[in-house]
This record gives sequence, structure tokens and C-alpha cells, in this order.
Amino acid sequence: MKSKLFSNLALLGIILAAVLALVMGGWSLPVLVVLAATLVGLGARNNNQGLGRAALVGAIGALVVVIGAVIHNTLIVSLPDVDAIPVESTTVVVYAGVIVLGALVAPLVAFFNGHPNDRVRRYSLLGFIAICAVIFPFYEQGTQLLWASAIIVALFYTLQALGLNIVAGYSGMLDLGYVAFFAIGGYTAGLLLSPQLPEVYALRWSFWIVIFIAAALAALFGLLLGAPVIPLRGDYLAIVTLGFGEIVPIVFKNLEAVKIYEPISEMIAYITGNPAIARCLIGCGEKALNITNGTQGVNPIDRPIINLTGIGIPVNYTFQTGEYIPWYFLILIFVAIAAFFIHRLRQSRTGRAFVSQRDNELAANAMGVPLVRTKLTAFMLGAMFSGFAGAFYASYVSFISPDAFDFSISVIVLVMVILGGQASIPGVILGGFVVKLVDLLILDKVQLVFGGLLKATILKNAPDGLALFLSSLFDITQYKLLLFGLALVTMMLVRPQGLIPAGIVKYDTKS
Amino acid sequence: MAETLLAATGVTKRFGGLVAVNNVGFHIEQGMVAGLIGPNGAGKTTFFNMITGVYKPTEGSISFAGENITGMRPDLVQARGISRTFQNIRLFAQLSALENVLVGLHSRLHGTVIEAFMRPPRVIHEERQAVDKSLQILDFVGLGRKVADTAASNLPYGYQRRLEIARALVSDPKLLLLDEPTAGMNPQEKSDLTRLVDQVRHELGVTVLLIEHDMRVVMGISDRVTVLDHGEKIAEGLPNEVQNNPQVIEAYLGQGAAAEGA
Repeated sequence: MKSKLFSNLALLGIILAAVLALVMGGWSLPVLVVLAATLVGLGARNNNQGLGRAALVGAIGALVVVIGAVIHNTLIVSLPDVDAIPVESTTVVVYAGVIVLGALVAPLVAFFNGHPNDRVRRYSLLGFIAICAVIFPFYEQGTQLLWASAIIVALFYTLQALGLNIVAGYSGMLDLGYVAFFAIGGYTAGLLLSPQLPEVYALRWSFWIVIFIAAALAALFGLLLGAPVIPLRGDYLAIVTLGFGEIVPIVFKNLEAVKIYEPISEMIAYITGNPAIARCLIGCGEKALNITNGTQGVNPIDRPIINLTGIGIPVNYTFQTGEYIPWYFLILIFVAIAAFFIHRLRQSRTGRAFVSQRDNELAANAMGVPLVRTKLTAFMLGAMFSGFAGAFYASYVSFISPDAFDFSISVIVLVMVILGGQASIPGVILGGFVVKLVDLLILDKVQLVFGGLLKATILKNAPDGLALFLSSLFDITQYKLLLFGLALVTMMLVRPQGLIPAGIVKYDTKS
Repeated sequence: MAETLLAATGVTKRFGGLVAVNNVGFHIEQGMVAGLIGPNGAGKTTFFNMITGVYKPTEGSISFAGENITGMRPDLVQARGISRTFQNIRLFAQLSALENVLVGLHSRLHGTVIEAFMRPPRVIHEERQAVDKSLQILDFVGLGRKVADTAASNLPYGYQRRLEIARALVSDPKLLLLDEPTAGMNPQEKSDLTRLVDQVRHELGVTVLLIEHDMRVVMGISDRVTVLDHGEKIAEGLPNEVQNNPQVIEAYLGQGAAAEGA
């Protein structure tokens, strides 16, 4: 452990938070300070010196972040064309309070992180994260940070990343078409919860049951797809999944005019040239059966309803667009349960089968691990989680169409797994957040600031055409995919094990 | 008279035009330590691979404890009670030593995916017992608890070899196949390992078949030695019989050479 004042983690935390404060400013400040202070605390040692240092670094860090925010409030806000929100007149109090917060959180985290007892360390960190996760949406709403929708998106992507981690991280199988299961989950929920199929809608399925149906169906397709391919070499699985990822959304797109004839009579009709012979089974009316409504998509999709009046509690709430907090907690609970499930799975006989056949297939087989059954189980579980995420997404957006499910989703989820740390649950969660939040929140804000700077300085006196060209050339948001690619390549060179590498799984060995 | 545990009859393996193993008959009695020797390329590991189900014999049959296991899948063979180690160490590199051994118990445990999540008392108990058994075996092979949480790839070479043996032993196999267990070891380590094999036979009652190149090791510990050359069995018998067999000497050292001192 480093004994210098600034450990790498602390330094990283402070720099990151300072840059973000510069760019985002406003009420994001306390959030960034808590983030920076947590990283400082995690990088410090638990002893008097360490705690003192953590407090000091926490304070310094908070101060640096505050300076970034002051610069934001003064210089950046005054830049033309930059739509940045300053902190109000309670500025001084807020900034002072934020410095104190930073100085407090850092040694607190350092204390618990340095505790000798493994369990205390783990549970206290989880508890801290849980508390922050519960407080955050209310803070966000109160301060109008407008981060809620981005965080909900990050969360249901993280759910998928956790699922893909079972396939790619634990089991070493490359799945390039993961979006297929997202689509299957989404369309299952969409078709059961919308007026698209009137006979089905009349049954008024409940969201809470439909998500399980969607997940089960996704798992079933995982079985159907996986069974013929998994016995083959891994490269073939990658190609087939890539194909499936393309095929599934296209199938949904084409299911808007379904007409099925009885096969034998259809054959006879074709041979004899007399179409009347063919007996129609499905879609025989004037218009063929429209199952998925093609590119126009399925909508509106019902929302979850929490109705406790049956058991005497006066709560009857239907989730709504724009009321983010219930959605946030819903997807948060999904992710928490998924992480818990997968954590336990890893420590079980099944989890050991996954990783052993990844590390050495021949040896695992020789030690009694059935290869096909193990890989298929992993594949189905991965598909299941994507199904859950798809069902959530369908209801959240209340509209799904085939265009929502394209290859880039498969890639982004895979990037989350690899960047964050394959086979590592905290790594994958962090990867999910980093990738999506950078994508949705930070890049836009960064572009806002630097685009504004560019306009205010270099382009002020440039001719219109050149100014337009340059400002779009230097528009970071255009380079999103390039940036993710670069980030991935850099990670593979510098830190291939990911942000939070998978560690040794420990078992309770005290008898 | 000990009963026959493993019986191979007329076993042949062809890879296209290459005959790796040619009509080899072989049997092992319960409780014995059998040695399998021969120059490199003689077909010893191929023979092992056919016993354990990695290859399917082109001709011939193999039976174990009275059951025909010819061509049976490796994981099913392991469940029947045959475990093995590998010539090039095949540990699960990213897993801890303890987890490596726990994998060896896969076929003996019964937890399902749902039970992994719910953790009913039955599964907690089963896992607890599995961990205890694994630690016991780690002690038995001389590794002990301290390395339990070390990543397998971080262990020194000698420990890795022992870990592979521990992983193979944890499932209480009836037959243990060791493929060149002392490769790359110095004389002290070899002697320690020989002692371990002896303990496996006497304390655990496991029948052992080992492939070895070190004559001192093989002759010292085997009840009976079989010699393969170019895929064919050229000699079989007590260690000192085989050692002085001129055909064996010729196979190893070429025509006209005298055997090196043991």
C-alpha cells in the first residue's frame, strides 16, 4: 500500500471529480465530492495517520472540486452558447458545506475499508452504497439534476451486462448477438401488455407476472439457439449469435402480416396451380394477422401497478412516464437481486463448473463437469437476465419497435463487461455505469463546454462556413463509438483485467 | 487374489494413417500400482486418453469394475471412479487452489441453479462438507490450508503438480491415472512424490496407474510394469524383469546399448 499522500485511486478520484465539476457544475457538486471522497477513502489505510491523511486529502479534494465548480459558475457559464446552470446565491454556504462533506466521507470510508474483519469491510461498503443509492434519487429530484433518466438507462444496461457476464465472463463464451434476448423479452412484454393483440390484452396480464414470462421465454430461446451450436467450437458460437442478433429483430419487423396455410394443402395448391385448395390456418381474414406491427412498433405498453388495497394498505399506484423515482427503485431492485443471485451462483457448484470449463475445458471435463450442459445453462441464464431487462424497457418506454434492438446494443453491453472487469460483479456494474453515464451525461456536457470554448475563442472571427465545419469536426458526441473503441483498446493494453478485476473466490474455511 | 479393476482388450487407436496404439491388452487389479513406460511417442498418453474417454478407441474395448466404458464421455468416466492428472499441468489458472479441488467434486455434489440462489440447509451442508473434504485432501498431498486461497497459477511448479493430484483424489476415485507426475522435479521432490503415491495406495486404498519416464521412480513403486513402444506392448512384468528385458533396453537406447544403472 502506498504511503504517499496521494494514492493513485485518490488522485484519480480527485482529478475526475474536478474535471466533472468544471463541466457540470451546479448541484452535481455534492455528488461528485462524495464520489471523490469515497475513492480517497478506499485508497487510504486505516490507521491514525491514514485517517488523518484521508481527511486532509478529502478536504483538499473537495476544495479542488469546489474550485472547478467556481470556475464553472464564473467563467463557463458566461461563455456564449453554453447552456450551463450555475449554483444560486446560497453559493458560499453550499461550497463550504461540500468541503466539510468531502472531509467527512473520506475518513469514514477509510475507516471501514481498513477494518480487519472481511465481513465488516464488505457489508459496510455495501451499506454505504445502498444508502447513497436510496438517497440519490430524492436529491436528484430536489435539485433538478436531470440525471434520473440516464441513470435508469444505465441500470437496465447494467442488468444486461450482469447477464452477459455469466456467458462471457464466467463461461468464456463470446456472444455477439445478446440484443436478441433483449428483443425477445421486450416483445413478449409488449405483446402481453398492449392492445396489439386484443384477445391477449383482454386478459389484462399484470406486469409483475409478464416479466417472468418474458424472462422465461428469453431463456427458452437461449436453449433453442444454444443447443445446436454449443457443442461446436467457440468461434462458431460467436458467428451464430451474431447472426441471431440480427435475425430476431428482423423477424419481429416482418411479423406484421402473418398468413399461415396448412402445409400439405399448400403444397398441392402449388403443384396443381389452384390456390383455392390451400387451407388457411392463421391470418385468413381480409388482412393478414398483424402480430408485431412491424416498424410502427407496439404501443402503448402497460405500466406496472402496485395495488395494495386488497390487503388493506391504501396504495394504488400506476407507474408513469416522467415520474422517475418508482422506475429507478424498480430497476435498482432488479439489479440488486441479479447481483446477489449471480454472486451466490459463482460460489456454487454450478458457478465453479462455469469458470473451470472456461479456464481449461479438457481438465474440467476430466474432473466430471458435463461441458454441453454447463455451457447451455450459462447461456440460458444470460438470456434470462436480458429478457428481464427487455420487459422492463418495454414498459418503461411504453413503446417498442425493431429499430430499438440493433447490434450496437450487443457491442455496448460486451464493452461494459470487458471494460469493467470480466467475471467480476462489481467490475461489471461499474463498467455499466461508466459506459452509459459517459455516453448519456458526460459527453454531452463536455461537448457543451468545449464547444462553447471553441466558439468563444478560435471561431469568434472565423468565416461562417469554416466555423460550422470546425465545430462539427470537433464535436465529441460524433465520436462516441470511436471513443469507446479507443477506451477498449487502451484498457486491453494497459489493464486487461478491467477496472475492478475478478478476485479469488473465498470460502468459509473455519471448521 | 485381487479382482480386476480395469481391463482393456485389443485396444487400437488410429489417427488417419497413423496407428498410435496397436492392439494393446492390459489389466489392472484392485490395489496395485501399475507402471506404464516407453519412449516418447509410444502411445502411453493416448492409451490414458482412451481409458478416460478423451479418445474413442478405433477397435477394442475397455471395462472398468465390470462395466463397459469404451468411448464413454470423460465426465461420465470420472463419475464412475477414474480420475487423472495431466502430462502438461492443466489446472484452472484463475481459480484458487481450494476451488480447483472443489471442481473435482462436481460429480459428487448435487446443488442445482435454483438451490445455488436459495441456499437451503441441504446445500449449505453439502458445500460445507465439500470444503472440509477439499481441505483434508490438500493436507494429505502436503499443501495445507495456507495455499487454499492462492490462485493456482501463482503456485510454484511442485505445488501445482500436487494440487492436480489433490483435485483428482478428492472425489474418492477407485482408479487414479497419473501422467508423468514427476516431470520437471528434482530428486528430493521426486522422492516426496513417490512417497505420496505410496500413501495414496496404502492409506486411501486407491489403485494407481502411472506413466513415468524416471526409471528409479517407476521401478521403485510399481508392482508391475508394462512397456509400450510404437503403440505396441513389448513387455510386461515385475519391475526388475522388465528392466533387464533386451527388447525394452533396445526400445529406449537403440540396438547394442547396455541399460544405464538404475
